[in-house]
Amino acid sequence: MLEEALEHLVRGIVGHPDDVRVVSRMLRRGNVLEVRVHPDDLGKVIGRGGRTARALRTVVGSLAGNRHVRIDLLETGEVR
Amino acid sequence: MVGQEQELSSVVEGDELVEADDDLDDEVDDDEVDDNEVDENEDTDEDGDDDLSSLEEEGEIAADYIEGLLDIADLDGDIDMDVEGDRAVVSVVGATLDELVGDDGEVLEALQELTRLAVHRKTGSRARLMLDVGGFRARRRLELTELGRTVASEVAQTGEPKTLRAMSPFERKIIHDAVALAGLRSESEGEEPNRRVVVFPAG
Repeated sequence: MLEEALEHLVRGIVGHPDDVRVVSRMLRRGNVLEVRVHPDDLGKVIGRGGRTARALRTVVGSLAGNRHVRIDLLETGEVR
Repeated sequence: MVGQEQELSSVVEGDELVEADDDLDDEVDDDEVDDNEVDENEDTDEDGDDDLSSLEEEGEIAADYIEGLLDIADLDGDIDMDVEGDRAVVSVVGATLDELVGDDGEVLEALQELTRLAVHRKTGSRARLMLDVGGFRARRRLELTELGRTVASEVAQTGEPKTLRAMSPFERKIIHDAVALAGLRSESEGEEPNRRVVVFPAG
């Protein structure tokens, strides 16, 4: 549900909604929601001073029952 | 459901770690000032198209965005759309919407911000839409107006400035308005999230 909610929230605010992909990844230190967006949209989902990213984290964190959710924002095709 | 780490996460932008920086709070506050200015000069909106139909359009885009979220999160809520003055208001009414409000309205603020961005993407103009969930803002506005009035009369009597508790921009705005209505002066001092309203005696 969290991936889907995050995908919906991000799709609504970007210029290339069809390029938005959210996957939940298990990393060594825990789960991460990895959001990939069109390169032109990366600034938009981060926002001024990280403000939009913080808003996404606040809403998704609350839907997750107030656990801190780690959300990574990346460009489509970006290697990490 | 996903297991999360119990720590503040960070946003990875390429190889750079972008963390919440100190300037962020200032920016939030700058925006509040901007908002107030726009409130007072509504006709200077760049597009000048704050007519009823464009506000209704804002409301509809916002309602779609919120409704999609309610569906996904399996939350029951009815969405009311309204226009208050020169602002579209979208209210979500339902019994179990605490997740969309947060302990102190912080989730509501975040959701409103995202909703405004969603409206902006479709209309191209900056949205000033207000989002309310479960009557949170309406209730909070009544309480804070009463608080502002009480503190104003106290300061008027003692002649001593009084500093209130730390508040969000939304809360401070209501206090400022209530104090001004009582004929006194108030200012905000300090940095977010510890910014507080100080009420001064008249004259």
